[in-house]
Amino acid sequence: MTKPIIEVKNLAKNFGDNVVLKNITEQVNPGQVIVVIGPSGGGKSTFLRCLNLLETPTSGEVDFNGENLTTLDPKRVNELREQMGMVFQNFNLFPNMTVLENIKLAPMKVKGIDDTTAPKRAHELLKQVNLDDHADAFPGSLSGGQAQRVAIARALAMDPKVMLFDEPTSALDPEMVGEVLNVMKELANQGMTMVVVTHEMGFAKSVADRVWFMADGFIQENNTPESFFSDPQTERAQDFLSKILM
Amino acid sequence: MKKKWVLFFALVIALFTGATMTGTTAHAASDDSLAQVQKKGTLVMGTSPDYPPYEFQATVHGKTKVVGMDVAVGEKIAKDLGVKLEVKSMSFDSLLVALQTGKVDMVISGMNPTPARKKNVDFTHTYYQGGYSIVINKADKGIYKNKDSFKGKTIGAQTGSTMYNESKKQTTDTTVKGMTSVSDLILGLQSHKLQGVAMEKPSAEAYVSNNKELASIPSDFDLSASDTSASVAFKKGSTSLVAAANKSVDQIKKQNLVNKDYLPAAGKYLKTNTVNTSMLHYWKAFLKGVEYTLIITVCSVFFGFILGVLLALARMAQGGPLMTGLRWLATAYVEFIRGTPMMVQVMFVYFGLGLVVNLPALMSGIIAISLNSGAYVAEYIRGGINSVDKGQTEAARSLGMSRGYTMRYVVLPQALKNIWPSLGNEFITLIKDSSIVSIIGVSELIFQSNIVRSDTYRGVAPIAVIMVLYFILTFTASRILNFFERRMQHD
Repeated sequence: MTKPIIEVKNLAKNFGDNVVLKNITEQVNPGQVIVVIGPSGGGKSTFLRCLNLLETPTSGEVDFNGENLTTLDPKRVNELREQMGMVFQNFNLFPNMTVLENIKLAPMKVKGIDDTTAPKRAHELLKQVNLDDHADAFPGSLSGGQAQRVAIARALAMDPKVMLFDEPTSALDPEMVGEVLNVMKELANQGMTMVVVTHEMGFAKSVADRVWFMADGFIQENNTPESFFSDPQTERAQDFLSKILM
Repeated sequence: MKKKWVLFFALVIALFTGATMTGTTAHAASDDSLAQVQKKGTLVMGTSPDYPPYEFQATVHGKTKVVGMDVAVGEKIAKDLGVKLEVKSMSFDSLLVALQTGKVDMVISGMNPTPARKKNVDFTHTYYQGGYSIVINKADKGIYKNKDSFKGKTIGAQTGSTMYNESKKQTTDTTVKGMTSVSDLILGLQSHKLQGVAMEKPSAEAYVSNNKELASIPSDFDLSASDTSASVAFKKGSTSLVAAANKSVDQIKKQNLVNKDYLPAAGKYLKTNTVNTSMLHYWKAFLKGVEYTLIITVCSVFFGFILGVLLALARMAQGGPLMTGLRWLATAYVEFIRGTPMMVQVMFVYFGLGLVVNLPALMSGIIAISLNSGAYVAEYIRGGINSVDKGQTEAARSLGMSRGYTMRYVVLPQALKNIWPSLGNEFITLIKDSSIVSIIGVSELIFQSNIVRSDTYRGVAPIAVIMVLYFILTFTASRILNFFERRMQHD
């Protein structure tokens, strides 16, 4: 059996009195594509953000490659974050920098890559997401779909071992969802380990290795996409699936 | 919360008493004042050069310098001591403080050795025995005869001067208005805000002879000899220096040098002074003012900005007790600076800090204004940092960037763009607020204009000139700022 790249043990998170995550224990193996689905407010985004410690868990542990993030010093956490790319619902591109500068900033400042190698790599990534002609544009001039593809390229520039996607298509106009999902599919085909929080059931069906159904602060069902969509095991999942248009 | 404040005040009080104590120990030290002056080779004389013919500014061969009978007295003393005389100009109010804090070695500024002053400084024998006159508008010559004619009227006198105190004491039903400079008082007289201005006889005569609209009447103040006499003031306890200066003063008295040489010489300067009173003639004085105003502003903006960034970061520090302490300290600093007038801060840095380290006036001014500006800039920057979307920080951190890198490369540049108009405002405010350092004698625009005013006996024209100059400075600055603001627009 392969060693899991991410291992979550008894993870819990409260915001004050508000319990958001309860006692989650799961693991992600290298190369796996996990799609986390479930109703809004069920803790999906918080869960994802606990994986790279953007949120500090209240209790439990998050292991990345065998190292427990919750007990490491901040410097080591920064180093491990490099290996976990994250893509946000609102892109969060740096508006004061061009597309190229957005992508090369972290590689140059964090990894110390020089100013000839970094742009070269950035252009390669931009080609991969079909946006090389926009290298000198500012984020403000991009469409939502373009911006999200730049954000993916930016995360990839750090050569991460895992990519975390936090509802990457939720803020997009419908006609732009496809271009982003295609990039993600291609990434999955290349063998990237991915954890994707999304409402795109089609993507879950066709790309996911496992579907984690999350509601009320914990993972209610961990299943293959085929069985999950045709024969959900829990009542909560059945209820959820009956309410969404397929 | 309450406890914090008690602690804070304790700190402030400790600071003040600490400063005072250093002052007293300096006093108590054995008297080597004469040796010290001789060792450094210069004798620094403090004076308020708006009191002709005692002391005033004159343009000599195109250069502005302080002249007058007091300067001649100072030169005589310096010469007899075998050292060089250096004249430092400042407002009359600041003179004794400057003496006590060691900014100057002696004060010669038509100063009367009153008992109150004697408590704080040592005086030489008197070098000149004057008297008081009241200057009035010539048109009123029939109405006013002496100090008792001003019932229900207003008399003006230089703030902090003996005339001011005596006018208050020896008149009834008369309002006494104090102003810092005599040229302002004369202006007040001519614009009928004042009906008379009390000043020393030689000064009164100088003004009357230079301005046909004015007349002089006797004051008839009941005065003891010490009230009308002028002496040289030295720091308390500098016995050897006073003794040495007394030798010079006695010679001056014996040979009647003041009446024979010094006053006529000063009169000549007064004449050359009034030959050309066009503002253009004084362009060099104004240029110097602009130069210093710019130096002060640019330096203060630079250091104020650095301080502001540090303070803003300190105010947002989070973590252990060290960080909490840092945050608290920065907050206290910002509150304290914003809660006290900049003028007081400037005086505190120059005179207060002067007890510990002797800083030149210009540097003190820059330090004080930078410290002040830093507190305001810190608040702008804090607001700017908070205005940057949290997602920006998260994106940067998710890329493995440390807290510091995230702040430096992602958040601060955006914060700066957001607060640019506020920062620009602060810059323009500083150009104007730099005028405050005129009180410690830095020759920026206001200070220079005051000199030109007392020089030319013209009250309004120099004010109009610097108004235009200030506007040119601020307008140019705002154009430059707008240019950079446009360059930062990307979306």
